[in-house]
Amino acid sequence: MNQSARLSAQPGELIDRSTPVRFSWNGASLTGFAGDTIASALSANAVRVVSRSMKYHRPRGYLTADYWDPNGFVQVADDPNVRSGHRLLAEGMEIEAQNAWPSLEHDIKAANGLVGRFLTAGFYYKTFIRPQRLWPTYEKVLARFAPGGTVDLDTPLGYHDKRYAHPDVVVAGGGPSGMAAAIAAAEAGANVMLVEHGHALGGHLLWGDDTDRSLASELSTAVFAAGVEVLTDSTVTGRYEDNWCAIVQRSHPRSVERLIKARAKVLVVAPGLIERPYVFAGNDKPGVMLSGAVRRLINLYAVRPGRQAVVFSANADGDAAAEDLARAGVEVARVIDGRRGENIVAAHGSAKTLKSVELADGTSVDADLLVVAAGWTAPTSLLNMAGDRPVYDETAARFFPGSSIDTVLVAGGLAGDGSVDQLVEHARATGQLAADRSRVVRHRLQARTARAVAVSETEPTWPTDNRPLLDREPHPALFRSSTHGIVDYSEDVGSRDLVAAAGEGYDSVELIKRFTTATMGPAQGKLETVNTVAVLAEAREETIAEVGTTVWRPPYAPITLGALGGRIFEPVRVSSIQPWHEAHGATPIVAGAWIRPEHYGDPHNEVRNTRANVGITDVTPLGKLDLRGPDVAKLLSQLYTNKWMKLDVGSVRYGIMCAEDGVVLDDGVTGRLAENHYLMTTTSSGAATVWEWAESWLQTEHPDWQVHITPVTTGFTSINVAGPNSRDLVRRVVEDVDLDPDAFPYMGVRTGTVAGVADAIMWRIGFTGELSFELHVPAGHGLHVWETLLREGSDLGIAPFGLEAQRIMRLEKGHFIVGQDTDGLTQAASTGMDALIKLDKTDFAGKPEVTWALERDDLPSIVAIQTIDPNEVPDEACQIVRAGTNEILGRITSSRMSPTLERSICLGQVAAEVAEPGTRLTVVLIDGRRVEAIVMPHHAHFDPEGERLRG
Amino acid sequence: MADDPLSPLLRFESPIVTPYHTGGALTLDDESSASKLLVLADPASPTAQQLATTFGSAHRNEGVLVCGVRPNEWLILGSSEACWAAVATLDQEGHVSVVDLTHSRAMFRISGAPSASALEKLCSVDWNDDMTPNLAVVSASVAKVTCDIIRDDHDGVRSYVIACDRSFGQYLFDAVVDAAQEFRAQASLRDEIWIADDAFSTEVDAEIADLFVDDDGDEPADR
Repeated sequence: MNQSARLSAQPGELIDRSTPVRFSWNGASLTGFAGDTIASALSANAVRVVSRSMKYHRPRGYLTADYWDPNGFVQVADDPNVRSGHRLLAEGMEIEAQNAWPSLEHDIKAANGLVGRFLTAGFYYKTFIRPQRLWPTYEKVLARFAPGGTVDLDTPLGYHDKRYAHPDVVVAGGGPSGMAAAIAAAEAGANVMLVEHGHALGGHLLWGDDTDRSLASELSTAVFAAGVEVLTDSTVTGRYEDNWCAIVQRSHPRSVERLIKARAKVLVVAPGLIERPYVFAGNDKPGVMLSGAVRRLINLYAVRPGRQAVVFSANADGDAAAEDLARAGVEVARVIDGRRGENIVAAHGSAKTLKSVELADGTSVDADLLVVAAGWTAPTSLLNMAGDRPVYDETAARFFPGSSIDTVLVAGGLAGDGSVDQLVEHARATGQLAADRSRVVRHRLQARTARAVAVSETEPTWPTDNRPLLDREPHPALFRSSTHGIVDYSEDVGSRDLVAAAGEGYDSVELIKRFTTATMGPAQGKLETVNTVAVLAEAREETIAEVGTTVWRPPYAPITLGALGGRIFEPVRVSSIQPWHEAHGATPIVAGAWIRPEHYGDPHNEVRNTRANVGITDVTPLGKLDLRGPDVAKLLSQLYTNKWMKLDVGSVRYGIMCAEDGVVLDDGVTGRLAENHYLMTTTSSGAATVWEWAESWLQTEHPDWQVHITPVTTGFTSINVAGPNSRDLVRRVVEDVDLDPDAFPYMGVRTGTVAGVADAIMWRIGFTGELSFELHVPAGHGLHVWETLLREGSDLGIAPFGLEAQRIMRLEKGHFIVGQDTDGLTQAASTGMDALIKLDKTDFAGKPEVTWALERDDLPSIVAIQTIDPNEVPDEACQIVRAGTNEILGRITSSRMSPTLERSICLGQVAAEVAEPGTRLTVVLIDGRRVEAIVMPHHAHFDPEGERLRG
Repeated sequence: MADDPLSPLLRFESPIVTPYHTGGALTLDDESSASKLLVLADPASPTAQQLATTFGSAHRNEGVLVCGVRPNEWLILGSSEACWAAVATLDQEGHVSVVDLTHSRAMFRISGAPSASALEKLCSVDWNDDMTPNLAVVSASVAKVTCDIIRDDHDGVRSYVIACDRSFGQYLFDAVVDAAQEFRAQASLRDEIWIADDAFSTEVDAEIADLFVDDDGDEPADR
């Protein structure tokens, strides 16, 4: 069986006979040649049955032997559903048939065919709809019968990526018309991208005669000489708004599959025509092929597709196929001419091979190969995606574009018929028009883009379409013979199924598609849509034009999830001290895009050390906005609920910011560094939001205010030095600032030099409740300052502390966190910060709502909570309920075991009726137990008077 | 001075710390240590007229690159000396702010014929010469990070300066290196750039200064 069907060298063959390629097929070792597709290599080895059909498991052979072949899906190692008519053969390939068990030769599931009359369209829906409780069982059983290959979950992911492109013209289709259009557009000065589905440019010319191949070579050479970017083994798989084209590039040296997002100024659609199968009894037997398949197998791959052939021809390609067969030594027993009214009615033979063909005149001809050339389908998908609805032409017996779209032009068979020279001439005119129109589009883009090369104010006139019209050659309307056969090979849908469905009331093309699944298979209608419409038209006694088509949506060709995903861009933010954290064993935590140190081994120890000695923590992610201008105080007064007009230089104030609905938006401290210079801090996660919020007030409500805002969050490395020894430590590294409590009181800000680094900003504030300083130093020296502090503080008991220790200490101190202890509904009036809400201000964001909220007595409140059992640490978000019921009265928002107090501590939001200090609460733990807790008198569990903080 | 632990020669810690070394048609240079001064002023102000740089464009002047990054914001890039000298000449009457973003931004340069092709894998901007000519300035997302990008060709070689928030620096650099592998990028890192406290590293400053002189070879003014 080794390449027994391989012919001697053919003039246009693509195979390299000097390079044999070994592969296996269902475990059997075979050989082919470099340049073979899997389909041509199997065919050369006289393999006739390559798959089993989806539902009835009928043996199937190659029908088109190209990318769209519905019978050619195979498993290649761990790669399922490989299109064997397109995938090139490679050394060592392990190829297996799919959808057959235990083997392709003897498939038990073929028993489905015995009960086929009961498995008509809608069978699954009708049979397995009830009882509903058995759906999980049905699912498990039916999954075993699902077609397709096997997915290996351990398959390496491979490298996929994406690319953006902005060509002037994208030409979809690399046949003679596509190439001619691309050349003309490039010669007219356009930047052109030519996308070809196959492995080489040339289209149908490649399997034509000497003249055809010569033209293919000439055009291909001219394409490259014109500087066109050529993508082969690639498909324009979608056309979206404004000619945003999705191109799947299947062969790339670096990427398994690449998605190119190309914004074309003009799209030229030149995909050629796709040969249409003919519907008749036995039309899916191995040995029934379309004329293009036969011509490709013979001329490109030197494969003899059979020994004795019958050719059913309704056009010149069928005639050419008969000539190629004769030249290849295949006996052409009979040519049936569809143009003269001759017809075929059935293919007979065993399940696995054709043996004879029954003609309409009642005669029968022995054959193992039936070649069908019944007509063409126009793949108008990209035009449909551009909004066009195709129109059926009865003369040509196919669909054509229904309208003209300014920036989507059509060339080749999709536009009409003619000699190759006529089609090339039309295509060249299309390319020129595309280039001319792209120039106008480019002019518009440049005119409205500030950075672009300037263009004249007058837009060029939009070029009119003066291309010669192409003819529409008559073609017999051959869709279904007098017998019934398969319409959708992928879905195992026959013409009988369609007629029955129409009879059941599914008589619109959209309904019949979904009920029968015709056109929903891997070919997505390219081979079966027109036949489906024709059969439905016949059943409804209407014309094809009256029935119409369904709408083609992207993707035109499949695209892997890997290409859609591309490189996974997940921005990561780190501070300048990150290398130190990593080197010293910090356990990282992801906080938004930031990677921060959660702890360095024992967060409770970090808390104890900070409270007893001194600790430093990296707070660089703290949002920081540089505010400059004479009207900064006005802006602060507008944004915050409290007053800012009299903040002294060198002073810091805390504020709460509300949205216009009175809900807490953010909080932070702002310091006045100089007369017209302030530094605002925000929460880490709120920095961008607050910046936009502030800018929106300036740009929309107060454009007259002179304020400049610049985000400087990461321009400073921010280090919090906290603990009783913090002042002593800071003294050792700061030369030019008086750090005495009177000179530098709590809530003060100074600028100076820290560890030799000038332009540092120092705050006397603290989130932890300890005496503390926040040092903000230019980030390019942040690590130096951090290391200096550690060195200088070694005798003071210094140790770093991470985010977890900071959270414990702030909870001990009762400092709430916006977004943790507040949510999207928490009003400022619920925070217990009434003293910071100054209703006597003329205005501030959210004032009306806040005023109204303060008048209510039923708003929930943030309160400090302690469980009666000090060892019980409720999980955050545990519900608080009315005793003895499930009525929710609140929830725990923050909760930790406090190493300082050696007991659990919490913050929570509770209903007003239970917010009074001393109120007993019932907390429902996540394991269902209920524990008692009590509302504390202050938010702070530790040092409520703030003596340590103000030390 | 070198022995005093509190005032050593201060090393500029670049946000790009991981070195890559491969050869090829592209080069990647870390320029994070370059000075970056942001000038904010009304587009109709005398300051704006002096800067003479419209939004979306850049030009070289006295050893600095002045970039119109926003309608009311200009980013001045160059050596510390040249940048502050340029700012000192500006009329700052009225509401004008100068904010030093030297430490706030990571910045690197990708140069070479395929540099735009590498950027095409990360950014949806149209890099064609008519849409983004030499000395064009664009703000865009690069690998999901907001960046200011300046096309700044040198000696006819296509080149782009990319500036982003400092904290994204290493991530973005890694993403660009990944994209550039296809074109075999060479990444060089300036991790030995020294900026002396109250002194000048002539050699380093000269290197930075070189990046921002125009092709006529004008040098920045002496300090």
